Formats: sequence, structure tokens, C-alpha cells
Amino acid sequence: MSDTARPEPISAAASAASAASAAVRLEGITKRYGQVVACDGVDLALYAGRIHGVLGENGAGKSTLMKILIGLIQPDEGSISIRGERQAIADPLAAADLGIAMVHQHYSLVEPLTVWENVVLGEPVALNRAKACERVVAISERYGLGVDPLATVSRLTAGQRQRVEIIKCLRREPQIIVFDEPTSVLTPAESEQLFSVLRTVVVDEGRAVALVSHKLDEILHATDEVTIMRGGRVVDRLLTADATASSLAQSMVGRPVSLRSEAAALGLIETVAEIAHDDPTVESPEDKHARVVLDVRDATLNDADGRVLLDHLSISVRAGEIVGLAGVEGNGQRALADVLSSLVDLDSGSVLVAGTEVATSKPGALSAAGVGVIPEDRHDSGCVLDLSVAENLVLADLGGVSRRGMLDRKAIDERARDLMQAFEIQASSPHAPMRSLSGGNQQRVVLARELSAQPRVLVAAQPTRGLDVGAIEYMSARLRQAADDGVGVLLISTELEEVLTLSDRICVIHKGRIVGEMAQHETDIERLGLLMGGVNA
Amino acid sequence: MSAATGINGEITSSELNQQPAATPTAERRVRSTPSRWRQVVPTVLIYVVSIAVALALCALLVSTTGGSAMKVFSALLDGSLRSPGSWGITINTAAPLLAVAAGTIVAGKAGLSNIGQEGQVLLGAAATAFIATRLVASGPVVIIISLTAGAAVGGLWALLASVMKFSRKVPEVISTLLLYFIAIQITDFALTKRWLLASLSTDSRVNNGQPIKRNARLPGFELFGNTISWGAFVAIILTAVIGIALARTTTGFRLRMLGLNPRTARRAGVSAAKIGGAALVVSGATAGLAGSLWLTGGVPGDRFTSGMSSNLGWQGLLVALLARQRAALAIPMAFVFAALRTGSQFLSATGVDRRIADVVQAMLVLALLVGAALEMVQKRRAERMAAA
Repeated sequence: MSDTARPEPISAAASAASAASAAVRLEGITKRYGQVVACDGVDLALYAGRIHGVLGENGAGKSTLMKILIGLIQPDEGSISIRGERQAIADPLAAADLGIAMVHQHYSLVEPLTVWENVVLGEPVALNRAKACERVVAISERYGLGVDPLATVSRLTAGQRQRVEIIKCLRREPQIIVFDEPTSVLTPAESEQLFSVLRTVVVDEGRAVALVSHKLDEILHATDEVTIMRGGRVVDRLLTADATASSLAQSMVGRPVSLRSEAAALGLIETVAEIAHDDPTVESPEDKHARVVLDVRDATLNDADGRVLLDHLSISVRAGEIVGLAGVEGNGQRALADVLSSLVDLDSGSVLVAGTEVATSKPGALSAAGVGVIPEDRHDSGCVLDLSVAENLVLADLGGVSRRGMLDRKAIDERARDLMQAFEIQASSPHAPMRSLSGGNQQRVVLARELSAQPRVLVAAQPTRGLDVGAIEYMSARLRQAADDGVGVLLISTELEEVLTLSDRICVIHKGRIVGEMAQHETDIERLGLLMGGVNA
Repeated sequence: MSAATGINGEITSSELNQQPAATPTAERRVRSTPSRWRQVVPTVLIYVVSIAVALALCALLVSTTGGSAMKVFSALLDGSLRSPGSWGITINTAAPLLAVAAGTIVAGKAGLSNIGQEGQVLLGAAATAFIATRLVASGPVVIIISLTAGAAVGGLWALLASVMKFSRKVPEVISTLLLYFIAIQITDFALTKRWLLASLSTDSRVNNGQPIKRNARLPGFELFGNTISWGAFVAIILTAVIGIALARTTTGFRLRMLGLNPRTARRAGVSAAKIGGAALVVSGATAGLAGSLWLTGGVPGDRFTSGMSSNLGWQGLLVALLARQRAALAIPMAFVFAALRTGSQFLSATGVDRRIADVVQAMLVLALLVGAALEMVQKRRAERMAAA
């Protein structure tokens, strides 16, 4: 299965389909940004009635390719044919006219509006509420989506919002639909549902679907054929039936990978669960008596509109353990991380660090008490892009690098060099602006700063989001190392695979409260999935 | 993925090619020299072109209104630099502009927009006038106390905005601006009362204060027939102190962090209310001091008059804007603005219509702003590209 450099459309089944011309044919698509080639002579054909997986790591060029297809980006070279006719797609409107639609990874819904309002938004016709609602209901019934047209979007779960996006997309009866990482915010059950909708769309209605993903499981379960991209090029193309997890993984990453040790990064949830059960690390009595380093008690927080973000949430972390907080995005994880970063004050409840209560209202108090945070969005609260790497490494801890209120530049540089070496941060110099670093290296700067402050607790919120397999591995190893060194780690993640591989104990958050807890060796994926969906199991 | 990492990736890959461990400073110099030139040349070009365009438009305007363009430009130069004693006046005008700009930079670096300097200048001058018309003491004592009073009152005025901002979330852009209008009313009221600022001599000279005592005036020295007041040194030292404090002290570092990323700063223990509030007060205090320097420097006469801040606050704000928040650049910028100001005042003295003179000045200010504005647009676009 390790194939030729640029394989042509595949085997008997596919060529039968291609007897009729492809719904979409991209040929020799090249897109450059400066010296970086995001897409390098990429060919891709989508056929009506088939789901085509586009597999690749973050940065492999798959999103760029899809953005070219829907007219968000213009290619430097190459051609696009729709149903055999060559087309130039100037913008998303032109794409829509050609019957191409995309369900984006980040939803573009207007939260205060209702479902039907969002669905008709942008349509150049007079508003007709009854008619619009009727249409929403019709589409919803046809695909079994169960969406209420009169519901306000802000009150919907991530899964429901995605269904609204799908209705928005299907209302124009597109022949070609692109799904970009569609399961990243769904519970396992919701993902299953999504794939059954995809089946209907493809098999019963003969549309062509491209499913963009970096998760092997998804590709293996849901697609008919798969194109694998790496570094902007197509490295492999085959029928999913002929593919195995290990062949896909090797093509995607470009080196032999161990499915077991990197299962989480590859999105192989069943392997992860298997390992979790085999794992002999049964808690020793010693672990159970390790000191509680972080204790959040009865935390309650509402936002400005009175919506509940945290609802009497209690969670504790002992020294030396990794507690995974699993949950679908938008269930209060961000609020909890903000509280632990001293960014918002609790309405009620308390936070104790190593037994001492810390005021949540005081800027920097939690950091000073020994709570390190790798935030979900490092640009928001993890680093200052306009300062240098060296400055970003000392943000909260100026005591060691200043004398009588004056900064000691030499000391700052020295510390930066040490940390850059210890954490393998690649930058031209300690003075390079943070902005010039790649995402992975920025993440390492944050990690280096937080760990070098020798925290008691490390909160890691979505620490591997957007990183490639190698970087994910590195981050996981560091988190484990921190726990081994006696730090209590709270891992907040929507990636179930990640939570399962790393955690000693797993808590599930839903609507701002902890709805379930289990030790690693007793995890039950089905039960986890139900808890994440708010079903009491 | 996609565009974002495309661009980030480009920079990173070029950085990757260099060994980070080996003599990074040398490499950095090698790398930055050509790119710095690539930055500087277009910038200079933009300024040259925009000023040339402004001058051409001014010439057109002057000649269509029946004047001689060459005479006007020559008068501009005479008034600001060429005629005897003129560059002394220009320097003495630059001093308060620079003081205003220095404080504006402090607030700007903390991410706050104080735009009420005009009122802070006015109140600072009023406070100085109050002390300097009454206090009987030796010269240095009077000067130090009256300048301190100006700075204190300007700072207090900004403190009002600061308290509103950090206790009630009133945007400082609005509060500082509105406080300016109150400042005008207060000083005009003070000019009607003898126990405050009104002249003791007659009632005919309303809106004029009493002359300040002789020993309250800032001393100066003669240089090639120009009288340069010590105020210029006060302003330059103030600017240098602020520049160093921002770049080299822990407080300055935390203040910049607050301005660049308030949430990261908060997590690192920077209190927006304390550091941001202090920055706003400092900016008010330097504006107040600017008013004191203006009054005691002798350029506008020897007494407090209604509206005597005469746009120094607004122009100081522009100086900070043009210097792009850099203290060192504010010094020449303040001088350029002062030259425009004295030049166009001389222009109206030569018989050109005052309004035409104002238009000429405004056009040249606009020309200076074009470069800064273009650069801001470019920077924002680059940031957006990197973030997309």
C-alpha cells in the first residue's frame, strides 16, 4: 500500500464512477505563501455518491485546498472542473452558484438569532417566517436532524449548532459538500449521527462529499476513498476498504509510527481504550493519599447575560496525578480555565491551592500561588505576541531578572537561552518577536515559562490543538513528566483520545458541572460518551 | 493549517535554517540590516511625497487667493527658524508639546487613550498661575512649587477619568474628552473671581489673570540671540526618564504588557486598575506640567488668560501619535510641530489671511500624518494576515 508519488484515481469501483465525469476535479493546484508551498500540484477528484476522505496532519494543506475549492482562496496554479467544465471560482458566492458548499470547522452562526433566521441569513429574498420555518422543518425531517426552527442559537449545544450549519448548507441543494473536521466538537454519539446523515446525503441523493480530517478512525469508518496529504502534496490515494490504520498513519506522518503509543494523536479511540484497560498502573494507596494540590469547591459563575457557565462545580487534583476533564466544547471548560488564570472572579465557591484558599478576584493570585496554565488560546492569555521570546519567558516572574526595579537584560537573555535549549524552542534568537514563531514553538514558550516557575498545579487547556503528531507527542511527554515530578495536572480537553491516554482519573463536565468521574482503568467509552452528552449514566 | 501557518511557517522556516545556539546576535544583525533598509526607505519616501503634495496644494491655495506662494513659505521659515530669536521661541513652544506627548506615550503604552490633554494643560497652567501670583519665596522655591502644583492638578484631573474607568467602566476616551469642557468652564469662572485668578487692577480686563511674579518665570539663557527657557530641558529630561522607565524598569515592562495583552498581563499579576490608572494619572500630570511650562516659559505672555492652552494639548497628542509611541522620536516631532506653529503665527503677522495660514498649517500636519496612518494600516494588515 505504500504507493507511488502521485497515484491516479483508483481501482475498479472508482473508475466505474469516473466513467461518468467527476463532480469536481482539481488538477495541479498549487498555492504559495512566500517561500512556503501550502499546496503543491495537488490533484483531487470527488465523485457523486461517494464520500472522499482528505486525511493529513495540521498544516498538511488540506484546509487550503478546500478553501480554494469554495473560492475563499485563489490558487496560483492549476485548474478546477465542475462536472467536466472548467471553472474559475472567484468567491464563495460563485462556488454556491456552482453547487459547492462547506460546513466549516468553526461555525458562522449569529448567536442571538433563531435557527430559521440564521438559515435564511444572506438570502436575497423577502423574509417569510412561516415559509422559512417550514423549509427548516422539511430538511430537518428528511435527514433526521431534529432541529427546532424557533430555537435561539445561543441556547443550542455544539452538536445542534452543527446541524443548523448543515441545514444552512443543504438548503441550497448543493451537489458538492465539504465537511471540515466536523467531529471536533461532537460527542461520540453525535458523530455517529453525523455520519449517518452523510450516508443519506451521499447514497440516497447522489451528492459528492469531501470529509476533511486528521483522525484515522473517522476516515476508516465514514469514507469510501481517501486522499492523504503531507507537506502540501498528495502522498497517497486509495480505497478506504484497502486501507489499514497503520498504512494510513504511516502515509500521513511520513515515518513508521506506533499505533499504540501515538493512538491519541492519530485519533484512534478504540486503541486508546484498549490500552487504558491493559494499563497496569493501578493506583497505589500512596497515590490516594498524595496531597490535594488543587481543590475547586462549589464554583459558580454566570456570564453578563445571566447564563450559567459554572454550576456548583467541584473538582480536585492530587500531587502527581493527571486529571482529565472531558466534555464537549462550550460546557464551561473555558470558564474554569479563566477562573484558574485569575481572569474572572467566581460568583460563589472557592479555589484552594495546596490547602490554602486563593482569592479569585485578585489579578495574578493563582499564578503566584503556584497554578501554571497553558491556555486554550495562547494568543488570548498565554503570551504577548509583540514582545520578544525572552520577554515572554519571564512575564510573571520578574523577581529573578531584575534589580531594584530595573530589568536585568543579561539575566533575561540567559534564562531565555537556557529555556530555549531545555524545551527545544526554535527561534532565531531570544530577541525574536513572539509573533514570528510557529504555533508549535509559541506553545513551547508558554509551556517552558509555566513549568520553569515550578508550579504545584498545571492546568493544560486543549494543549495539543492545532499541533502536528510530533508536537503532540512532545506535549504529552512533558505533561506526564510534570506529573511524575509531583505536579498536579488538570488536563482540559475535548479530544477524548487525549484525555483517555494521559489521565489517571477522568471527570466529565456538562453544562458547567461535573457529571461523572472514573479512574483510568475503569473507563467505559460508551458511558463517557453518554455523560458528555448530558445523559446520566 | 492553510493561510495562517503558511505565513507563520514561512518566517519560522527561515528562522529554523539558522542554528539558534550559535552567535544569535551576529546573525540577527546580518538578517535585519537589509530588511531595516527596506523599511526605512519607503517610510522616508512617503513623508517626502506627502509633504511635497501638501506644499503644492498650499501654493495653489495661496496663489488662488491672491498671495504669493514663495513669500508664504519663506515667511513660514522666517517665523519658525530664520528670523532673529525665532528658533528660541520654537524651542520654548516645543517644550510643552513634548511634555504632553511624553505622558500620552505612557497612557498609550498601557493601552489607554487619554485625549483630554487640552483640559489638563489648561488646569495645570491655572494652578501654576494661582501659586505664581501669590507665593512669596525665593525664585527656585516658587518655580518648583508652582510647577509641581500644575502637574498635580493635571494628574488629579486625569485621576477622575481613571476612577470612573476602573470602578464604573466608563471609557476613558469619553471621560477625558468631556472633562476638557468642564476644565474650560472652571478656568473661565476662576478668571471672574479675584480670590482665584482674576486680575486685581481693573474690571475692564475680564478673562485676564494677574501677571505672575517675576521670580516665578522660568529662567533662560541666551544662545545666538535666542532665549531658551529651562523648560526645554525639563521636557527633554522628562521624556528621557519616561522612555527609560518604559523600556528598562519592571513597572514599565508590566505597563507595556498590560497595553499589549491585558488578559495575559492580568494572569501575570498586573492590575489594570493600579498600573493603568497610574498611567492615566501620569499622562494627566505631564499635560498639567506642560501648562505650567507654557505659562512660566514666557511665550504666551506673563499671565493666565482664557483658553491659553491654545491647542497645545491636541497638538501634543498628535506629536505622540506621529512618534508612534516612541519617546526618542517625540523630541524631533515636537520640534517640527512647534516650528509649524510659530511659522504659521508669523505668517498671519505678515498680512496673509489668518484663515489661510491656519489651512496651510493644517495641511502640513495632515501630510505628516499620512505616513503614520499608512504605516498603521500596513501593520494591521500584516497582523491580520498572520492571524487569519
